[in-house]
Amino acid sequence: MTPLLVAASALVALGAAVATGTRDPRMASLGLAGLLVAAPFVADPLPAPLPLAFGGVAAILAGFLVFIAARRTPEGAAPALGLRATLAAAAAGYAAGIGATAVALPRLGPDAALAAGFAVVAVAVVPIAVTRDLFRLASALIALTAAGILVLTALAGTPEPVTAMASGLTVVALAAAAAVVGGSALAVSSTPGPDDVRDRRATGAGSAIGGRR
Amino acid sequence: MSLLPFLAVAIVGAAVATLLRDRRRLGTLAGFAAVLVALAAASSVRAETPLAIGGGVLGGSDHLRIVLALCLAAGFLVLVVARLATWQPSAPGALLGGATGIGLALGLAGTPAALLLTAAATVVASALALGSPAAPSRVRALARELRGATTSVVVGLVAAGIMPETAPSSGSGPALAEPAAAALVLLGMGLVLAHRFGAIPLHARVSRLSDAAPSGALPILAAWLPAAWGLVILGWAAAALGPSSASLGLERGIIVTLALLTLLLGTLAALIQDEVEHVVAYTIVADAGVALLALAALDPAARDAARAWLLVFATTRTAMIGWTIAFRAAFGTGRLRDTSGWLRRAPALGVALAVILVAVVGWPGLLAWDARVAILQSASSGPALLLAWAGSLGTGVAICRVLAVGAGRPSAIVAGAVSELPRLPARIVTPAATNPGPAGLPPGGARARARSRPSPAPGNLGSARDRLRGFAAAAGRDARPSLELNRVPLRAFVAILLGGLALLTAVGAFGIDAAARAPGPVLPSAAPLVGG
Repeated sequence: MTPLLVAASALVALGAAVATGTRDPRMASLGLAGLLVAAPFVADPLPAPLPLAFGGVAAILAGFLVFIAARRTPEGAAPALGLRATLAAAAAGYAAGIGATAVALPRLGPDAALAAGFAVVAVAVVPIAVTRDLFRLASALIALTAAGILVLTALAGTPEPVTAMASGLTVVALAAAAAVVGGSALAVSSTPGPDDVRDRRATGAGSAIGGRR
Repeated sequence: MSLLPFLAVAIVGAAVATLLRDRRRLGTLAGFAAVLVALAAASSVRAETPLAIGGGVLGGSDHLRIVLALCLAAGFLVLVVARLATWQPSAPGALLGGATGIGLALGLAGTPAALLLTAAATVVASALALGSPAAPSRVRALARELRGATTSVVVGLVAAGIMPETAPSSGSGPALAEPAAAALVLLGMGLVLAHRFGAIPLHARVSRLSDAAPSGALPILAAWLPAAWGLVILGWAAAALGPSSASLGLERGIIVTLALLTLLLGTLAALIQDEVEHVVAYTIVADAGVALLALAALDPAARDAARAWLLVFATTRTAMIGWTIAFRAAFGTGRLRDTSGWLRRAPALGVALAVILVAVVGWPGLLAWDARVAILQSASSGPALLLAWAGSLGTGVAICRVLAVGAGRPSAIVAGAVSELPRLPARIVTPAATNPGPAGLPPGGARARARSRPSPAPGNLGSARDRLRGFAAAAGRDARPSLELNRVPLRAFVAILLGGLALLTAVGAFGIDAAARAPGPVLPSAAPLVGG
């Protein structure tokens, strides 16, 4: 593994942990943008400049859209795990990914991509399963999509440019869905997310409406 | 290049329809116009030299043209039925957004990109359909769709990474995969296909979607997008796993078992449902078994048959959804126990459902029948084939049950429903009505006298121009009241049109059979187009 691959994959894992583990929605959207910007660099050989640029623009756009959704997230909408636990999960996933390279599957991509992909999957699974709000869910789903591309890179080598572009479109679509729907869901249903966990709690739905706008 | 105009028109149309959705009349007109323009653009998609984009290719094909045209035509008719029943502002945008994604996904070479864009289409269509107004049930349904699409695409990406499809034009021999890896990949893709179609035990998605989504957007969400997932996955599976199919006996057996369970239990569930929307939802669940059998076959012939059958599936299910909208609007309820004897009050809806039944079941020699039987025979044999064949007729049985309920004694709700007979407004404008009456006033009552325009001079009375003006004015004045009075027969008429479109698809019109068998455009170094 080259230093660039190690640095980029570590940045991906860190970004995924921050995106799904931090309480501050703004930091979470920043972590998500970092994850998406760094992910295309976990490839050997590196993608062509145009797909890299497309991926960067898509990452920034997705981060911005998630940031819009984050502004509508109420105070106190905590992630399923704390930041420390999420960082630990990312580290464990990274180690597991390195270990998984021992499996004798024919692979055309770098080990770092598999490690980064496992790290992202490790931190994204819990929010997807037990999320409380659409912002957290969208962040985790975007991270999971990035993880899929990373594992694909590890298995089949650097993705075709058209695959990178399609990945960017999918990520932006997910972020846009969170940005557009998240606010409406808050305003109409008095619950910020799909699971209505808040509604079942004694704190009631009132706090769900009073988020920052 | 012929695909690009469609994509441009559909994207712009989806944006316009979504931006104007809060304006009742203008939004409706803009949405309908956008769908019609997109339909015209989709009809002009041709099989041609693909356009190189980012190392891949984007190109049209006959099969893609038929997919898009049927999706938009049937979706438009459902929008009309839905608009005649209620106002569903988000449905046109969802239809166009989903169709755009389907066009991109099936027009691109390479399975990973196609999977990603199919997921993007699912996300966009779901967000547009369920995002506004965002009721809690809709937000939950949206969350389920987002979760399902994303996890499906990730599983698909991993599978396509382990087992990339082989290019027939490369001249290389069949690539035998590591058996364990191939087995995992087949099971993973089977899981994805089962989830997207709603196969048992993953069937709750379809039923809940039919409860939450606006009925006008249901065809794209519950029929056409799963069909697009099926086209992508089945196109990949035959090429990637076909050479290894001999070593996948156990895994194929598992998928066949799941398919048989889905066919039989889905049919059973459709037969015990009381709401017509749930009946349709569980017929979709039941037919997921046929899609799973097409996957288990791992055979190019079954893939080609599936590409034809998926069109019949999506069109007939769209027609059934349109029929349920008309049915619920006609009787104010979709509960079968409350609508016994509905055939006597709504015989035109009965005709529409009977046409849909013929399209769903078919007969030997018909594309719908032959394609379905080819899929079943490719994946099963002996008693399993018999079970699969019986289960594949489940949708027809469910429709027969609805018809049988309609033949019963009319309930109070049915007896009080509005008849399907066309009606005219109270003041009927005829050429004679424009003539002055004996007292110098037009006939037709006080309202007509108040609204009547000054009569032409006696010397010009008989001129064709004045008569035409009179007719035009009368038509303009009476169009809206006539529309309001005749919503029931109009809905029934559009439902019959939907049934006719389904029947045309089932008989193999539009060159479906040849388009399903034709290879897509291939670049020397690229994989074939997954969509054909």
